Amino acid sequence: MLAASKLDKSAKIFVAGHRGLVGSAVVRRLRTLGYTNLILRSHSELDLTNQSAVKTFFTIEKPQYVILAAAKVGGIHANNTYPADFITINLQIQTNVIDSAYRYGVKKLLFLGSSCIYPKHAPQPIPESALLTGPLEPTNEWYAVAKIAGIKMCQAYRLQYKWDAISAMPTNLYGPNDNFHPENSHVLPALMRRFHEAKVSSAKEVVVWGTGSPLREFLHVDDLADAVVFLLENYSDLGHVNVGSGKEVSIKELAELVKEVVGFEGELVWDSSKPDGTPRKLMDSSTLAKLGWEPKISLRDGLVGTYKWYVTTQ
Amino acid sequence: MTVTDTAASKLDKSAKIFVAGHRGLVGSAVVRRLRTLGYTNLILRSHSELDLTNQSAVKTFFTIEKPQYVILAAAKVGGIHANNTYPADFITINLQIQTNVIDSAYRYGVKKLLFLGSSCIYPKHAPQPIPESALLTGPLEPTNEWYAVAKIAGIKMCQAYRLQYKWDAISAMPTNLYGPNDNFHPENSHVLPALMRRFHEAKVSSAKEVVVWGTGSPLREFLHVDDLADAVVFLLENYSDLGHVNVGSGKEVSIKELAELVKEVVGFEGELVWDSSKPDGTPRKLMDSSTLAKLGWEPKISLRDGLVGTYKWYVTTQ
Repeated sequence: MLAASKLDKSAKIFVAGHRGLVGSAVVRRLRTLGYTNLILRSHSELDLTNQSAVKTFFTIEKPQYVILAAAKVGGIHANNTYPADFITINLQIQTNVIDSAYRYGVKKLLFLGSSCIYPKHAPQPIPESALLTGPLEPTNEWYAVAKIAGIKMCQAYRLQYKWDAISAMPTNLYGPNDNFHPENSHVLPALMRRFHEAKVSSAKEVVVWGTGSPLREFLHVDDLADAVVFLLENYSDLGHVNVGSGKEVSIKELAELVKEVVGFEGELVWDSSKPDGTPRKLMDSSTLAKLGWEPKISLRDGLVGTYKWYVTTQ
Repeated sequence: MTVTDTAASKLDKSAKIFVAGHRGLVGSAVVRRLRTLGYTNLILRSHSELDLTNQSAVKTFFTIEKPQYVILAAAKVGGIHANNTYPADFITINLQIQTNVIDSAYRYGVKKLLFLGSSCIYPKHAPQPIPESALLTGPLEPTNEWYAVAKIAGIKMCQAYRLQYKWDAISAMPTNLYGPNDNFHPENSHVLPALMRRFHEAKVSSAKEVVVWGTGSPLREFLHVDDLADAVVFLLENYSDLGHVNVGSGKEVSIKELAELVKEVVGFEGELVWDSSKPDGTPRKLMDSSTLAKLGWEPKISLRDGLVGTYKWYVTTQ
């Protein structure tokens, strides 16, 4: 069921989490499309875990649309070390924002999650229907349980109040503003950083763990932002929507591409004594494709742009 | 979970215990049990005195009262129809209560918290009897998934706080409960109180018969709420580990046996008729309570005795 109405370009839109990888890309996209009435609040200006601060904000600002990209996020190590933070902060943000958005006149809310909401052994490609059909990946179950609760809250508000709340679940994202931390970044920014450092230090080789055979899917965050606006403008239904590129690459192909984009001329060596990780992880984005959306940024172009951003800001 | 992880320390009888939801079926039974055992320093707040969905009110309460123990029995509960009609209330109110109470309890010096859920956290097609390990292994029953998702989040919060902060939070998941203070509403009560009310009304109106839907063959497990309260105190005194704990009676009855027993206890002398053209519902629902049994707890109230006492309560209060 599509509500094919474009939003009024002067509509007041609150982008929660506008400084993160996803939120900043959403802001860029909205501005490019002419949506200029954006309400943005940093964490110190508005603590989304504070119920009464969030209520006050909505009472005063009265946004018409909300894109909920604010979350406590992190990699495996962070999730393992701070499980209480990962489940509680996300539940608080979601419960406060979704409930206040409904009660203070927001017309539509889009909630963002991630592919880790799905069972560890979900069928590949992973369809939306895989939700809650099996055990979660233990290393991020705290975050996943919170995000699942957010999806269910959106559905529940639509059912009880006929209120327009939707959820979008992106695949692995990359792009400007990503986390390039040497210890807790994801595979793509980690490879980029390592090849860059090897290049500037004239290292002979970069060693990558595993055989390189696992398959992964990546989506440039600017494509995700475009999909978010597309869904906000065109989708109003109960089911959460996967947002992926539909294109798989092996870790080997990824590493070789990153090496080439960065311009590292030493050797890429595989330490196949180290573990590979999940053999395959690909989202089924056919729901979104049927609505008429497709990504535009190839992996090569996306890596080139991301590397340009990386060298100018690091 | 290992037996050596049980903290076998009895609580100090003067310990300050906050029983959230003390007016409900479970909370009121927990209060009765605590008082019987000599725990008299109980902090109780009605909904109008303390709105648990209000984050700053809950913080203020914990800052001022500083309970040492918390039993979280407060929840938004209801049957199939209520869950279907108010899904947003069922997920949001429960998430708010849980997040506020668990987080404030940790931050304001509570030594131990016990969180209560229910058997509907488990997958619709969980193996029978249902072990604790069945959690999140399959799809939920759609009619109560809003409540179930909230309760699962509560279990996971307790585990997360134990892991990150080494804080003592445990979860207990009871089977179908019955007893004083249950909901006997003609439209949205569960099967046991519904049968009791219907046989009672048939008796006082001298009706010829009571018609019950289905064949009577599905198997169900029931636990008297006073047994649940006893298990709650037992777990509070003896269990401090990561895994949530099922609390059941381990005894199954068919709906037919249940109906005949309720008819006998109520003293209805007309006929019990089965309308087998109507649906039966889930064939079997039984919790695996062996974890709790291994800790040394067992229920004491037989179904017959429990029904007799509950009916006595029903006629004096209705």
